[in-house]
Amino acid sequence: MADSKKRTAHKLPEAGQWPDVLSPWVIVAGIILTTLGFLMAFFVVPPVSGATVNGAELVGDTVVSNKLLMSQKIFYFHMPVAITSFAALAFAAYYCVRFLITRELRFDTCARIAMEVALLFTVMTMITGEMWTRFEWGVWWTWDPRLTTYLILMLIVIAYIVLRNMVDDPIRRAAFASVVGVIAFIDVPICFMVTRLIPSSVHPVVTRAGGMTPEMGLCIALVGVGMMCVAFALYRARFRQVRFAERVDALKERLDD
Amino acid sequence: MNPVLEEIYSTIIPSAPYLIAAYALLWVALLVYILIIVRGQKRAEKQLELIEEDVKGRTL
Repeated sequence: MADSKKRTAHKLPEAGQWPDVLSPWVIVAGIILTTLGFLMAFFVVPPVSGATVNGAELVGDTVVSNKLLMSQKIFYFHMPVAITSFAALAFAAYYCVRFLITRELRFDTCARIAMEVALLFTVMTMITGEMWTRFEWGVWWTWDPRLTTYLILMLIVIAYIVLRNMVDDPIRRAAFASVVGVIAFIDVPICFMVTRLIPSSVHPVVTRAGGMTPEMGLCIALVGVGMMCVAFALYRARFRQVRFAERVDALKERLDD
Repeated sequence: MNPVLEEIYSTIIPSAPYLIAAYALLWVALLVYILIIVRGQKRAEKQLELIEEDVKGRTL
């Protein structure tokens, strides 16, 4: 028992595992899918109609009597990026729970990196959302329930990262951070369901039957899978880099001993 | 231009800066994170080189 503990303590953190072999292919798939999604959003999916105009005109082979909303094209990246941030948070929460059960620091590293990726995608969701909000609603911010719950989510993720820099002891830091990681995940279903719970929300419920046309759904699916691939590749790249740095630190410590 | 068509397309040009900014900033955010990873990797590699030199110096 004591021997195994000693061995674990001296074991260097590994860098480079089988998912790293897969990563380059996954990032290529991500780039291809997001590019296809981008092209589809602009060249295949017809623009969404806005307010009615005084009259009607033949555009292509359809009679149009509404304003065509170009800004809605932001949606084809906004929603997949938001879903990816939820997925990253789910992974982070999973690793947080695994750390709390096992107290193994490698799970804390996994959670930390998943949280970083979640923050990146949360920021990307906010940026795309802000641009859309500014044009469509004429304001940079409104206390819409979806926006508010998502802002809270982003603040919890930032709090997670700030908290990590405030505690020196690795085990205590990991334990506190893991609790915050789980709390962040609790906000995910609230954020997702809020448009159903509060129907007055300016955000429409799109993930329902008839919420999107088949072309819109396909475009969202392409970008969604593509963004998941990008997130996975980023996670692995960061994980590899962090583990490599940890390995170097461990070597340094051994040399100092 | 036909006034009805003008009205139909009235939001296209005004929304363009926001649309372009949304897509551009999205990729900028991704690139910043990639840059952070690359910098971290380079720093660790540099440290490893120093350790290797140190080990060489000790064995000589």
